[in-house]
Amino acid sequence: MGRPSHRLRFAVGLALAGGLGVGVAHLLLKNEVQQASVAREERKGVVALQALADLVERAGRRGEGIRRAVSAWQGANPSVRLARVVAFEGISLEASTAPEDQGDKAAPRRLSRDEKSLYDLGQRLRTAVTTNREEGGARKEEIEISTTHAGALALAAPVTEDGAVVGIVTVETQPLAAPARPSLLYAILAWAGPLVLFVLLALLVGERRAWLAAVAVSCLALGFGAYAAHSLARVEQERIRSHEAVAEFALAQAGTVRAVLSDLGLAATPPLVPSAWDADAFRRPRGFLTESGKLDEARLRTNADAASGQALRALILAGVVALGLLLAIGLGGVHRVAAALVANRQAYYYVVPAMIGMIVLVFFPFIYGITLSFTDSNLYSVNQPITETWIGLRNYGDILGDVGIAQRAADGSLVFNYLNFYWTLLYTVVWTVTNVTAGVTVGLLLALILNTKGLAGKPIYRVLLIMPWAMPNYITALIWKGMFHRQYGVVNHVIRLFGGQGVSWFEKPFTSFLTALATNGWLSFPFMMVVSLGALQSIPGEIYEAARVDGASRWQQFRAITLPSLKPALVPAVILSVIWTFNMFNIPYLVTQGEPGSSTEILVTQSYKFAFERYRYGYAAAYSTIIFGILLVYGAIQNRVSKATEAI
Amino acid sequence: MSRKRTEETHHGLLHLFLVLFTFLTLYPVFWVFTIAFSGKQSLALADLPENPSAWDLVRAVIPWPERWSLSNFTSVFADQPFLQWMANSAIIAIATTILGVFLAMTAAYAFSRFRFPGQKTGMMSFLVSQMFPGTLMLIPLYIIVVQWLGLGSTRAGLILVYGTTSIPFSVWMLKGYFDTIPKELEEAAVIEGASASRIFWSIIIPLARPALAITALFSFMTAWNEFILAATLMDKEDMYTAPVGLKFFVGGFSQQWGYFAAGSILVSIPVVALFLYLQKYLVSGLTAGSVKG
Repeated sequence: MGRPSHRLRFAVGLALAGGLGVGVAHLLLKNEVQQASVAREERKGVVALQALADLVERAGRRGEGIRRAVSAWQGANPSVRLARVVAFEGISLEASTAPEDQGDKAAPRRLSRDEKSLYDLGQRLRTAVTTNREEGGARKEEIEISTTHAGALALAAPVTEDGAVVGIVTVETQPLAAPARPSLLYAILAWAGPLVLFVLLALLVGERRAWLAAVAVSCLALGFGAYAAHSLARVEQERIRSHEAVAEFALAQAGTVRAVLSDLGLAATPPLVPSAWDADAFRRPRGFLTESGKLDEARLRTNADAASGQALRALILAGVVALGLLLAIGLGGVHRVAAALVANRQAYYYVVPAMIGMIVLVFFPFIYGITLSFTDSNLYSVNQPITETWIGLRNYGDILGDVGIAQRAADGSLVFNYLNFYWTLLYTVVWTVTNVTAGVTVGLLLALILNTKGLAGKPIYRVLLIMPWAMPNYITALIWKGMFHRQYGVVNHVIRLFGGQGVSWFEKPFTSFLTALATNGWLSFPFMMVVSLGALQSIPGEIYEAARVDGASRWQQFRAITLPSLKPALVPAVILSVIWTFNMFNIPYLVTQGEPGSSTEILVTQSYKFAFERYRYGYAAAYSTIIFGILLVYGAIQNRVSKATEAI
Repeated sequence: MSRKRTEETHHGLLHLFLVLFTFLTLYPVFWVFTIAFSGKQSLALADLPENPSAWDLVRAVIPWPERWSLSNFTSVFADQPFLQWMANSAIIAIATTILGVFLAMTAAYAFSRFRFPGQKTGMMSFLVSQMFPGTLMLIPLYIIVVQWLGLGSTRAGLILVYGTTSIPFSVWMLKGYFDTIPKELEEAAVIEGASASRIFWSIIIPLARPALAITALFSFMTAWNEFILAATLMDKEDMYTAPVGLKFFVGGFSQQWGYFAAGSILVSIPVVALFLYLQKYLVSGLTAGSVKG
């Protein structure tokens, strides 16, 4: 197979990159247009709803007048399928234009049992209004909008009297028309045009790579840029059209309401404010309309700038990706990768299943977690997009910049701040070093004893001594927690047996640390013992015999034969053990529970508590990322020192 | 003659030390058994009177129930949904083992036998992933499994998570072992005309049985013993795994140490038995995985 030509490669690259870029831009455009259309219908719905609520409030909120007003209003609003007015007093349906509510079900009547959802809706809105008023904010929605099965909008807003919610109005629109789709023609033109241009120019340029790259990039920029400009303009046009439609609709509503009021013989005082009807879900006017119902141009412009800024960023991103794709294909990167994939396809078949799993459930969560560390995501904001909660490096600054590990109390003694990162780090290092040292010492000692030649009952000892490793460690932790109980714990009973006083283990950091150390030491020595024993048994006895013949002492044999043979097994075991201990969650979490006052938390349990007890997800993620950094540095140093992983 | 005598006394001292040490090591195990068979929910081995005598004090540390009773075991099944929790744990652990070992052995084989771009990066990324702090993964995993995949409170969700998180350790272990299997065997098979998959299934896998056993054991134990993820992902009580259920007995304000002890014994039996049965592979598997001069 000959090398594919540069021209062909760039042409394919341009076709794919252009397709990707223009395709993404088209999808963005379609999405924007659809959203704009839905948003427009919702705004019109809210305007109609608010106008109706206004009308109901002016017409006295209940009674025959309301029924006349509502039916007159409905008559003037072909886009509305039905409207209902509910008064809380007497739980009555005051007015309804719904086809279901005719004949013996006609208003006014008490709400029936199967209309409880309507009543609940009213209570929800009432609660929302009072809550928002008490908090002085806008947290609960005061207008509910939902979509019905038929594709219509169902809206509900409160009816107020002297500020108190006394009922609700609900409106259901006619099913919405499918939103307009932007034409595909421009997209196809923006994709095919540059491609044709490139083919023509490539004929002139010939097989010169740099020139071809320049031409291809220019063609891509031309096609994509043109389409991006087109779609930005289209979105902007759609936006203005929406505002105009809403403004027009609001004015029409004002006319309807005024007409209905005059029919009822009521004067429109105070004057109607159609601009207030165009409100958000918290009944705050959106402010795009002036008092008289005209469009507020200045306000529109700032809003348009903000909105198009977002669209522009998305388009730029798509452009950069398309450019990358073009260059990757054109310059041969993709070709080389594909060639490697094909040449080693057998190897990749074997690796791919595991790799996919790892990427979805290990590497991606990891990256997502690191991203979270740059946000102030918490229980309330966890579902917001990352861009909303982004705070950059502030979490890291808060964690690492706080060096107030201890301060002097009034009486001159040191008071440690146990929530300080550096306290926890110090404690974790002490915890790791003591535990691994204890584990290695005890494990090695036992292995040496068990390796004694001719020792009877060796397998039995071995099996029994492995038990702590075999048992689930959360059970171990809970057992030891029970054994260290101040009043009923066995450990204190033993101390009392020898005439001492029971110790309140979890009331001082040091004794609390000892309980965790004892527990973790207990469950970690068997691993070291088994590893050492395995290595010891693999040393041929002849070596010792030869050494003895040469007159080597026991100590010399241990130094010259045993230790070096243990090293290849023990070094990786210690490395593993350090990481396990450093990351050991269950023991500190279940045994000391950080008592007293978080002093015996290690880094991982502390970060867990920040996440799941204090609900500071972003902060906890930053904390965990720092832990990862520490482990990475440890791994790099360890790797350099011992070259333990050289045989990859 | 004299030499033999000194060696015997020497061994006697060793035995004394080993017996004492073994007793101390097993004391927590005896303690659990005592509580479990005491028929009470208290965590004291014996009730101390107001003014304890010396015998009372000794009695309080002897791990032997004052009265034997099976009531903790019967009521942990009858009054608590413990059987359901054990079944959940068993299903999840077995499926995790199958999934994890299958994924790991194919990947380890490729890493051991083929030379391909990304090989070193792949192995290294597996190693590095072992250092990811669990707490960093917990929130994203919750979002992915519960909100995106819709697998909250299902066994499948836990199986997927456990199965994949066990891959790196298993791959490293198995690759170490595969490396020790002589290549000549495969070369001979290639000459005979065997396909790559045939070689993998009929030569490598049978030869690697000890290492596979260890790997399976670790996958099973990890899944059987895991606590935090299960507590996070399993919201419904009938979907609890055994560890989450056990923590229930002595967590918060409940102090049902009797149920906890009885449950602990039942939960520990399968893993301890497996561990002891497979422990002959333990040394060979572990050292093969880690010792490579």
